[in-house]
Formats: sequence, structure tokens, C-alpha cells
Amino acid sequence: MNDQQQMIQETVSRILRDHCSKEVVDAAEAGNWAAGLWQNLEDNGLTLAGIPEANGGIGGDYADSLLVLREAAGFAAPLPLAETLIAAHLLALAGEQVPMGPLTLATGDFSLKQEGQGFRLTGYASEVAFLPWAQVLLVPVAGGQPALCRLNPTDITATTRHNMAGEPRSDITVDTVLAAEAVSAMPVDPLTLCMNMGAAARAVQMTGALTSVLNLSVQYAMERTQFGKAISGFQAIQHQLATLACEVAACQRAADALMTSPEALSALDLAVAKARIGEAVSLVTDIAHQVHGAMGYTMEHSLNLRTRRLWCWRDEYQREAHWEAEIGKLVVAGGADNLWNLITTAS
Amino acid sequence: MFQGLQFEPVSLPDHAEALRSEVREFIERELPPDYLRNSDFNTGVSAEFSQKLGAKGWIGMTWPKEYGGHGRSFLERYVVTEELLAAGAPVFAHWIADRQSGAQLLKFGTEQQRQTYLPRIARGECYFSIGMSEPDSGSDLASIRTSATRVEGGWLVNGSKIWSSGAHQNHFMITLVRTEPPSANRHAGMSQFMIDLKSPNITIQGIKNLSGESDFNQVFFDDVFVPDEMVIGEPGNGWEQVVSELGYERSGPERFLSAFRVMVEFVREVGDNPTEAQVALIGRLTAHLITLRRMSVSVAAMLESGKTPVTEAALIKELGNSYERMVPELIRQLVPGRTSLRFRQTLEECILHAPSFTLRGGTREILRGVIARGLGLR
Repeated sequence: MNDQQQMIQETVSRILRDHCSKEVVDAAEAGNWAAGLWQNLEDNGLTLAGIPEANGGIGGDYADSLLVLREAAGFAAPLPLAETLIAAHLLALAGEQVPMGPLTLATGDFSLKQEGQGFRLTGYASEVAFLPWAQVLLVPVAGGQPALCRLNPTDITATTRHNMAGEPRSDITVDTVLAAEAVSAMPVDPLTLCMNMGAAARAVQMTGALTSVLNLSVQYAMERTQFGKAISGFQAIQHQLATLACEVAACQRAADALMTSPEALSALDLAVAKARIGEAVSLVTDIAHQVHGAMGYTMEHSLNLRTRRLWCWRDEYQREAHWEAEIGKLVVAGGADNLWNLITTAS
Repeated sequence: MFQGLQFEPVSLPDHAEALRSEVREFIERELPPDYLRNSDFNTGVSAEFSQKLGAKGWIGMTWPKEYGGHGRSFLERYVVTEELLAAGAPVFAHWIADRQSGAQLLKFGTEQQRQTYLPRIARGECYFSIGMSEPDSGSDLASIRTSATRVEGGWLVNGSKIWSSGAHQNHFMITLVRTEPPSANRHAGMSQFMIDLKSPNITIQGIKNLSGESDFNQVFFDDVFVPDEMVIGEPGNGWEQVVSELGYERSGPERFLSAFRVMVEFVREVGDNPTEAQVALIGRLTAHLITLRRMSVSVAAMLESGKTPVTEAALIKELGNSYERMVPELIRQLVPGRTSLRFRQTLEECILHAPSFTLRGGTREILRGVIARGLGLR
């Protein structure tokens, strides 16, 4: 980690430790935007970490953005940090200034056609994150001339629900004419880039949450007394937690490879991370909840703030099966005798 | 953060990657093209191959040149070992001597021991077995009963060791013995002896494993004389020495590559037209393998910087062994209708060896205990 990253990690942790209490997360789940927490992070430049200064950010690269996400996920911060950072990267890539405030994006099936002085954007997307709280919605369009569209969330027909983590997710249908200045040409396919950055973000967020789940589980096992001793003293519990720790260590190592710029990130490293980390969620949450007993199954205990997010994040930006297939296709295309070479060239 | 859970991101340096090409060329030249061993480290024994590796400078790589070593890094050693394993090269003759016995001599041995034995090991001529477990002391190593009593100029050893792989072929066994009777401190009073397996009064009895191979042994000591110059380190320091050995023993690529050949042959079998389920399984297993390999490289870097990564090593072994056991179990479900004899043999050999993966070098239960200690639970 460089100095800036060290500072980012420390500042995010400090702010979240002080301001991201369970009450704040619960309130967000009840529909109240965590304005104070957002403002605090934004004032410290952290909502635009890794975004070039020329575009309004604090400089650095996507690794810095991911670091914010990993730390914030450990505290279950109920904010569109991933969405904002990805949107900001796309805007910077388009040469645009990044606005302040929470942003989000819709990855779906969209098409864009010139109409008069502007463009008509049509299409739909599901599971758009945090739409009710976002100030700008970005829609990356892949077909034809790759473009990035900026929309006002209040102009959009949306059906919003809360996902398992109690975060807003919206299905949207769009058929609207945008002014020319709301559409930017993109030098690369923004949809693929967005999907990849999203997968990297979720993988890193899962790692942050998984690490936090390990810490909570170990702490709980040492505090909880049954049969006259702390349950951490029982071999059955020790072995469960050892298994949990193995998974978390593997996830951390898989996520390390993502800590680079999206341009430098290999398709294989990304797929390995999202597949491996996503797979770990099942075993880790199983063990963590078992160790926590019925206490961990209550809304009151903060374990569920992490585990419910993990159950959502593993599905977003494609499930393990998708990424496993991506890896499998690479292996099969290379053939049996190239498998070893493929493995040794994966960073 | 917990002790032993930090696997720092490390990439292999360019010179290590350059070495990789050299190893691959060597393997291609030295092994027949239809060479079919599994990638399990203790399946193939060839003194000739070990000596060729020694001549290349690929045994004792990290040891100082004055002892016949090559002053190279643990990361370079890592590359050599993983290339040999992946190819299923017959490496078992020198494997333990190179991996841990030599390191023990280097760390705890006398100057004379280092000068006498390390160059021979590095040349691929001198092979070692491990003498830790006993019939009544499997995982509970502190309960060993093989004892040594002081005599003129050395010690007399009585007792027996079990599961000592290759003892029937190897030259020496680093043997953990009680040099003092058991006391309140269970870990006190043990010592490591380097016992010449051709000494009088030693009986080596092969034990067939369930696949019919005689790889491991029970070794009986009946008043075996061990001269003082064959004691490793300080008498009484045996426990500490054994523990330090385990970082080497547990963290290497042999702890997750034992089933690699099954994967390779499975990819060959599914060919150009795999089902979706086959593709996804190949992808899943590859994701696990790549991750494990990165963790193991991280530990190689820790060894390079002089650390003793006991918990990390246990963690890799536990995770890697679970993976090795998962590979044949998942692949067998998706085997194509028509397969080659070669594929079936590879798969079956792996299934037959699989129970040993989570036993040798520390059982799953012991490893989980070590990890739990790292978590502060015990």
C-alpha cells in the first residue's frame, strides 16, 4: 500500500467507526438516507477516491476506490459508494466533470439513437442500486457508438424494492429524449467496463464483509459462555472458525489481484476473484450464523448487516456460475496441455 | 488482524519466471512425452532424476554456496518445485531432504553436519525420511516413547517410528526421541537425531497402503547406537525444532497440486465440445487453484524474509488438502460418456491416494487446531 492508500484506509475506518453505527444502518434500511455519513465521507474526498483531480476527484487509481469499498463493507455502510465510484470513473473516462453527491448506474439492455438535436434512449435494467437516493443515473450504452448517458433519477419510471440487505434496488424502463450534452461518447465499451468494475467492486466489498464476519465470530465465541466455559474453548467451534478463517484468507488473497487499474486488470484475475469469493459466502455465513446461535439470527445483532449484504453481493454483477464459465472457457480454449501455463501466468 | 492470516500480495520476480522456462525445458527433455505420473509428490522415486536435478542446482537452492547450496531465493525454489510437481516428475527421493531435513541441518546442525551432509543432499545423492509419528503417537507428537539413553560417545535408541515414507530407500531419518523422561512440560526432554537407516539393529518393515503400494514403513530401533555427532541441535530442543520444520513441510505447492493431473486429463477428455457444467467446474477448480497458489507464493516470500509462518502454512495445507480432495470427487460426476484409459487411471489413482492428503504432514484436525491458535481461540 502506498501512503495515499494507507491514509484512505485509516480515514475510512475512523469515520465509519465513529459514524456508521447499527442505528444508522437500520435507519437507512427503514428508508432514511444516511446524509450525515455520506457528507462526512464526501468532505474527506473519499467518495471520489481514485478519481483524477482534473475531473473533481482526489487522484489515485481504481485500487484506491476499491480500498474505500473494502473498508466500508466491513462496516456495512448503507451508501452507494461502489456505484458512485464506478460512475465517477466512467465520467472521468468520458472527460466529464464528476458531480458531488451519490451517483448510480444502470447496466441493462439499452439503445441510443440520434433524434433531432439530442438522442433517444430506450431500454430497461433491473436491480439498479440506490436509485431513490442518487442524484444522477448513468446509463452505459454499448451498441453502435459507445456512449454514457446522464439521467435525472426523478425522470425515470421505476419499481423499487428492498433487497435482502434492505437496500433499494429498482427495475427501470426508459424511453426518453436526452439533450446532446447529457450524452458523452466513450473511448471504450462502457457497459463491459462497468460490469467488470462492478464485479471487482462486489468482490472487494464481499472481502471486507467476510473479514468483518470472521472478526465478529471469533469475538462472539470468546465472549459467549455455555456449559461453564467460553464456547471458543470447544473443539467443534474452534474447527468451524478455522474453516471460516481459511475461506476468508483465500478471499483476501483472491481480492488482492483486483487492486489495480481496470485497464491493467486481467479478465482471468477478475473472474477468479468474483467466483472464488462469491463461493466462500455460503460456507462463511453458514459457519458464522451457526457459531452465533439464535442471537445471530436476530435483527438486533449486527452480524446480519454483513451476511445479508454478502447474500446480495455474490449475485450482483453476475453470479459465480457466470465467472466460473468465463474461466472454464479460457481453460478449454487453451487445451489440457496449456492449463498449467494459464495458472502460472495468473499473477 | 489475527496472527497468521496475513498473506501479503507477492508476484514472482522476473528472474524466477526466467528460471521457470529453464525448468520446463529440462522436464521436456528428461521425461518421456507419455510420462503419466500423477502430480502427487510422493509417487515417483528416481535417484537418477534427483541427481540430474542436483546437477542443475535445483536441490538445496536456498542454502549457502559453502554448503553446496546455490544461494537462491525461496521464490526461485518455489518455481522449481511447482514446475516439477505439476509435471508429475519423480521427485520423491530427494524431496524431504530438500524441503525440510536440509533446512533443519542448516538451522540447527553443527558445522560438521552441514559440511558433511548438505552438499550430498544438494547433489541429489542423499535422501531423508521423517521420524516423528509412532504407533501410539499419531498426531499427539508430545507423547512419543522412542527413547535414547546416554552411553559412551552417544546414545542408544529404542522404540519405533511409523508412517516414515521412503525409509526403505532413504539414507537417513531425522528422528524425534525422548532423551529425558516425560515431565509436567510435555514438550520438554525431546531431541532430534539423524539416524543412519543402514545402522545395525534397525528393522524397516513396509506397510502397504490401500492402493497396494508400499511407500510408508514402520521402523524399529533395538539398541541402535547414535553417535553424539549425529544429534541435531541441543539435546532437549527437539520440540522447538520439529515445530520450525512444519512451516516448510506444510506450505508448499505439494499441498494443493496432488490432484492437478486429474484436472489436466479432464480438460483433455472434454475436448472442444464440453457441456456447460463441465466448463463451469473447470472454471471453479481453476479459481481455487490460482488462489491457493498465490497464498503459497506469499508464504515462500515470508520464508525468504526469515519468518516462520506456522499458522499460514497450516492454513494453506488445510485449504489445499480440502481442494485436492474435492477435485476428483467433483470431476467424477461429470466424466464424459467415453473416456481414455489414461483418464480413468489418473482419476482412480487420485481417489485411492486422496485419504492420505488430509493425513500426511499433519491431519486436518491438527491443522485446524493450529489455525484456531492463530485466531486466539486456544
